[in-house]
Amino acid sequence: MPPSPTTIRRDGRSAIVHLHGDLVVQTARVVHAKLRATIRRRNVRTLVLDFSYAGRIDSAGLAVLSLIHRQLAQSGKQVELVNMADQHRAALVLLPDDGARIPEAVIELGTLDALLERLGTGLLELRASMVAFARLVAETVHQLARIVTRRARLPAGAVRHHLEVMGVEGIFIVSLLSFLTGMTMAFQGAVQLQRFGAGVFVADMIGMSMVRELVPLMTAVIITGRTGAAIAAELGTMQVRSEIDALSTMGINPVRFLIVPRFLAITVIGPALTLIGIFVGILGGMLVASATLDLPAVTFWARIVDRVVLLDFMHGLGKSLVFSWIIGFTASHMGLRAGGDASSVGTATTKTVVTSVFFIILVDAIFATITTFMRHG
Amino acid sequence: MSPRTSNRMSDREILLECRDLAIGYDKPILEHINLTIARGEIVALLGGSGCGKSTLLRTIIGLLPPLAGEVIVFGQSMYELAPEDRSRLLRRTGTAFQQDALFGSMTLEDNIALPLRELTKLPQSIICEMVRMRLALVGLPGMEHRMPTAMSGGQRKRAALARASILDPELVFCDEPSAGLDPVVAAGIDETLLRFRAALGVTLAVVTHELESIKTIADRAVMFAHGGIQAEGSIDELAHSDDPEVFGFFHRVADHPAGAGATAAT
Repeated sequence: MPPSPTTIRRDGRSAIVHLHGDLVVQTARVVHAKLRATIRRRNVRTLVLDFSYAGRIDSAGLAVLSLIHRQLAQSGKQVELVNMADQHRAALVLLPDDGARIPEAVIELGTLDALLERLGTGLLELRASMVAFARLVAETVHQLARIVTRRARLPAGAVRHHLEVMGVEGIFIVSLLSFLTGMTMAFQGAVQLQRFGAGVFVADMIGMSMVRELVPLMTAVIITGRTGAAIAAELGTMQVRSEIDALSTMGINPVRFLIVPRFLAITVIGPALTLIGIFVGILGGMLVASATLDLPAVTFWARIVDRVVLLDFMHGLGKSLVFSWIIGFTASHMGLRAGGDASSVGTATTKTVVTSVFFIILVDAIFATITTFMRHG
Repeated sequence: MSPRTSNRMSDREILLECRDLAIGYDKPILEHINLTIARGEIVALLGGSGCGKSTLLRTIIGLLPPLAGEVIVFGQSMYELAPEDRSRLLRRTGTAFQQDALFGSMTLEDNIALPLRELTKLPQSIICEMVRMRLALVGLPGMEHRMPTAMSGGQRKRAALARASILDPELVFCDEPSAGLDPVVAAGIDETLLRFRAALGVTLAVVTHELESIKTIADRAVMFAHGGIQAEGSIDELAHSDDPEVFGFFHRVADHPAGAGATAAT
């Protein structure tokens, strides 16, 4: 259907709009644009809508009338509807009954105002989120202290359950990826180092990189995707379904009941999976080195034992512990802040993964900087 | 409120009191709320959808701090208590949420036994027996090992009531206990609430807008509208109120009859 050939005529301080044809979904946008341009003129005080030649009006057409009516009311102007047929009057029943109540959302802010408003809202939300995060950490520590001093107890079997779900079921994927990474590194390293006759240093390279950097980082990313996302989704769903509120009203502390067992489990699982990943990764590298470099497994292992010291293990496992806490607290925080509807659970899960990976890499960089300065400074 | 109701209430211990309460998230939804609930009463908190009655309930049960005023439960100001003391106070109350809030990963028995396992040192045998008895009381005998996902809406509501009452609370809050249920199941919920009062002597504050339910169970009702208390009194008094909104609520009169719009038409 072609756009409605609406015509506009001026009569003193009134603008008379002759509506032609149907005011429906197909024509609503064009008519609305014309009417809006008309009412923006300062010297127009009254808008007269002439329905003499108007055809059918549907919900979109009524929405145009409603919007124009509200925008005029907002600027102290008037609208008159004239020459309406019965069908038009009947359709007007669907208009909101109180044009004076203009929702805030209708007030269109300028681009700069809108930008500032979004920035301010974002900053306030960030502040509230940081305060809530700090409270969660403090409450978790408080509840842990109460459990250690036997003033409170852990929910029966909860830690074991989470250890199984987070840890035992994660061993395979962590091992597989570590093994493949070890193999890939050995292949790449062998090709490069053989050119300089330094193939034997593949063992040093794999040992150091697996223990200090690669496996802690990779395991943390896997735990974020598997466990962190699961924690956020689980807590988020509980929040949406009022289950956490139910705990509070029963007099059961939700942090003690839900967060502390997960925190304890992830504290064990992070370093444990990292340790497994380190050995499996070294094994992958060892197999490739044996096959491509004729480097015996015993020699490979002896070089690693000689090169990788306890401090390197402490460095790698210490990092994995910090990464686990980042994941645990981020996931718990995001999950507990979900609420309202199902989409908030998805948002909480996404935010958990993105925020955790960001802070894991940030902390990794800080670790690397500090240890480099400690060695050379 | 009628003199008869006032006299009856003055004889009883006040379990819940709201003093000049203002509730809401950023802006007040309800203000100047003054209400009391005496021991043994069933009080319906009424109002149209979105009037703030569920938000008021969240404030009363300690989940949403008030913007102003006090919530006094068992003589203690809820929000002036330390978190641990507030938890102890809440153990004397029970809440059945609108969404039932049963833990989806637990069986019905584990759900209902949770407060007992977490807050008491009772042996498993007694806990299981208590759960069995409570399930029978709410009309779900033998369903201990069902998962909440395998139950109907009405059964879940009953299970939520069983969990809310398992610690024998003195004061039970129910948020829309029969919303979305067919009349037969809703009548069953009402009967369960009355059995609770008869068997356990509990006081009930029920947030609802189900007219039949209100008429069946409530001794008294408080109606909320326009950001405050619109009316308060016995069900009979409210049903015959001169206030058109209260009358309209009890007699299902639409507040926006078709044709009331079209303000732009001239």
